[in-house]
Amino acid sequence: MVLDIISAVLIFLGAVLSLAAAVGLVRFADLLSRMHASAKPQVLGLVLVAVAIAIQFPTWATVTTLAIIISFQLVTIPVATHMVGRAGYRTKHLRRSMLYRDELAEAVDRAEAREIAWERQRGTGTDHHDG
Amino acid sequence: MSEIVLHTLVIAGSVLLAASVVIALFRIVRGPSILDRMIGTDVVLASIMCGLGGYMALSDRTDLLPVLVVLAMLGFVGSVSVSRYVSKSDSMTPGAEAGALSDFTSTDWHMPRDAGEQSAAATEIGEPEVTLIADPTYDAHADSDGEGEGTGPDPGPDDAEHMSHGDGSDRDGSDRDGSDRDGEGNSRGS
Repeated sequence: MVLDIISAVLIFLGAVLSLAAAVGLVRFADLLSRMHASAKPQVLGLVLVAVAIAIQFPTWATVTTLAIIISFQLVTIPVATHMVGRAGYRTKHLRRSMLYRDELAEAVDRAEAREIAWERQRGTGTDHHDG
Repeated sequence: MSEIVLHTLVIAGSVLLAASVVIALFRIVRGPSILDRMIGTDVVLASIMCGLGGYMALSDRTDLLPVLVVLAMLGFVGSVSVSRYVSKSDSMTPGAEAGALSDFTSTDWHMPRDAGEQSAAATEIGEPEVTLIADPTYDAHADSDGEGEGTGPDPGPDDAEHMSHGDGSDRDGSDRDGSDRDGEGNSRGS
């Protein structure tokens, strides 16, 4: 019975995290802020629920499957979030005024300077090659 | 006594999960861009996973564990495919990528139909000169009201600029050299 209550408390905490993510999703003004809010139940809420399941069924099969689920989620969530954030940066779905510092812009500027230098080089180079 | 505590916790958790799904659905309906909708879908999926896990824990159903695996994989695949659709420079094959940067910037491969005119305008402005587009409008174009403009991937001159931004950052020079020269030859021949 105590274990039941402990796992119910863990599930309740997972639900609270999920609600916090949903509220942050509505309240925040920016794509990146919304991503920040929405990552909480995906990892921590799932970990809490998995601990609740493992408390209820402490067998090897269940615990290993839960470990697989959690490790899979821990690996894939950063990748998916990174790709969403990069797509948002490229399509400018972000408020620049909310950024303290845009470190990616420096890299973009450097790459762009490289691009221009290379364009110039190609402009002279293709004349020689094509002629 | 402990029965009452247990039932209260379960009911309160269910209500919270249902409320979070409804609020996330609100963001999905109203979300200004497709990426916001994707994040809302992720939150709905996380709530479903939490609810399913709670159901499994409290009603002795370990046979639903593979469903959790499938849901985790579904969220990952959905996010990655939607974001690859949005940032179009990702969705080209490596051979065509470099040529696509300079020559096919304005084609509407991965764009909706109504983007045709704007991108045609982008062709005449800046085929070789990337700097002209990039410098002045870069900061100024940040969304004024905080919500992005369109419902899909934004078409038009913006995207030409993004492709030049994004593509330059993750490629090295040698790869770009050979294949883009091919692209140059094609455009000149046609």
